[in-house]
This record gives sequence, structure tokens and C-alpha cells, in this order.
Amino acid sequence: MTKGQLIPPDDYPQMVSKSDAAKMARALRSPETAARAAKVIQQQSQKLQSAVHDYVRELENAAGNLSLVFEKAHELRGFAETAGLRATGRIASGLCRYFDEMEKLGTVPDKAVVALHVSAIGRAARAKDEAGRMSDAVVKELAALVAHKLAEAAP
Amino acid sequence: MSGSAFEVLQVLVVEDNQHMRSLLRSLLNSIGIREIHEAANGAAALEILREKSCDLVLSDLAMKPMDGIDFTRDVRQSPRSANPFVPVIMVTGHTERHKVEAARDAGVTEFIAKPVTAQSLFARIAEILERPRAFVRCDSYFGPDRRRKAQDDYAGPWRRHGDHHDHQVP
Repeated sequence: MTKGQLIPPDDYPQMVSKSDAAKMARALRSPETAARAAKVIQQQSQKLQSAVHDYVRELENAAGNLSLVFEKAHELRGFAETAGLRATGRIASGLCRYFDEMEKLGTVPDKAVVALHVSAIGRAARAKDEAGRMSDAVVKELAALVAHKLAEAAP
Repeated sequence: MSGSAFEVLQVLVVEDNQHMRSLLRSLLNSIGIREIHEAANGAAALEILREKSCDLVLSDLAMKPMDGIDFTRDVRQSPRSANPFVPVIMVTGHTERHKVEAARDAGVTEFIAKPVTAQSLFARIAEILERPRAFVRCDSYFGPDRRRKAQDDYAGPWRRHGDHHDHQVP
């Protein structure tokens, strides 16, 4: 057994002084900062949505290559919602969860389930009413399908 | 508050998705941070850290050739590390328990699950500023104290012999 050493924050260099840190933390939580950030995201949303559409095309072209599908779905899960494409992000997130859980079970994902998700992601990303009620219904139906398939695959 | 206090900070963004890098840069700019360095993977980030004195790192987890976990471990443990205490916020879509634990054990300071929101990013930075974590150094680990909830009145039972006296660890 080796004796460990605990190094308190005062004993190593900090980013800024304590008084500045308190002021900066307050500023980070202020409504003005939130409003500026929302404007930034709004300004970037067009560019981000265009990037999401590129990833969707790559996802569709990756059909059959499950590791590539997972990689692209993961990218979409990461920033589709930030780009304002909520349903696209949620479906991609559901697909990632399916891959993760099947890996845990040591089972190969069902290609039909993957294909349904890929198709739904493409449709959602191109829909005029991306976050509408139809998209919500698709997200729910796919989540139910994943739950059913995971229950089937469980030992 | 003016952005002056943030202007002194240098931040390194390590992310293989250029759109995410751009978004994170813009969010950091919006709070007044001007000096932002970018790397597309852990190996490139280590090069930057050797040359630039960064105050904060935002890192993705899954990257090639070096991922965010190996990068963080190198920052914390390499004898060549310029600042082993630098706060590392891991920004990742990989929220599976084993990956989160691996990142924590490499020495990550905070986590943000993608999709990133400005609120989640700023809350983690505020947390680091207001409540910097103690560091632990032992044979198997160097990094922020992984016990997030300190209980000053905790009377045991102790998991390790001598914990209540002098923070002895295995």
C-alpha cells in the first residue's frame, strides 16, 4: 500500500484569481451570456444543417457497413440537435443506443432495424417540418422497436 | 461583466469534427475568449500543449490516431506534460458507463454529453472556475479527486486503511 497525496486547489496554479473566478462564473450564468450564445448558434444553424445533410448522405451511402453506419450516426447524434434538427438527432441517438446495447449483448445488430433508422434519419433531416408531430411519432415507434429487439436479443 | 477576464484565457479545442470545433470556438468567442487553439486529435493536441500555455481543454473522446482518453492520460502523467493540472472537459456522445469511467480514470475534470448546449458548456466552465478540484497523486492515478461529494462529517466505514488520517490510498 502506497501513501497517496492530496493536492488542494490552493497548491497548484489556477486559471484566474478567486475573485475573478467568481465574477466570471456569474457572467457565465447570466441571461445576457445565454442570449449571446443563442444568437451564435442561430447564426451557425444554416451551416450546421448543411453539415448534417452531408453526414446524412454519408450515412445512407454507408448502408451495409455497420461500423461506418455507427460512426456516421454517432456524428449526427453529436450535433444534429444543436443544428436545430431535433428529430434527426434523436433517431440517430436511438440507433447509437441500439448498436451499444447489442455490442454489450455480444450480438450483431439486425440489418433491417439499422436500415429503418437510416431511412428515418434521411426522411427527418429532409422534412420541412422536421420537429413536427410525425417526427415525434417516428422517434417513439423506433424506440419501441429497439426496446423490443433488445428484449429479444437478451439472454 | 466585460469580456476582459475571459480575454486572458487560452483554450484548446480537441475535436475531429470541424463543424463541432467551429461551434465550440464560436461559443467560446461569445464569452470573450479570444485565444483558441484547435487540434483534430490527441496527438496534435499534445504538440500544441507543448508550445502554448493553455488554461482549459475541451476534448472529444473518439478520435484517431489518439483518442481523448489517451490524450488526457498523457497530459496528466507524462513527464513531458507542460501543465498536468490543466482542466480537461470531455465533450462526447459516448456516454456508456465504461467509457465515462475510463475517461474519469484517465483524469478528466468534467463531462458534457453531446448534443452540446451553450448552457451545459458554460455551466461546466463555471464549475471549474468556482470549485476547482483537489488533485490526487498515487501509484496508479494522477488527476482530479474522483470523489465528487466530500462529506466533512463522514465517520466511516473507510474503504482504505488510514483514509481518515492522511488520505492513504492503495
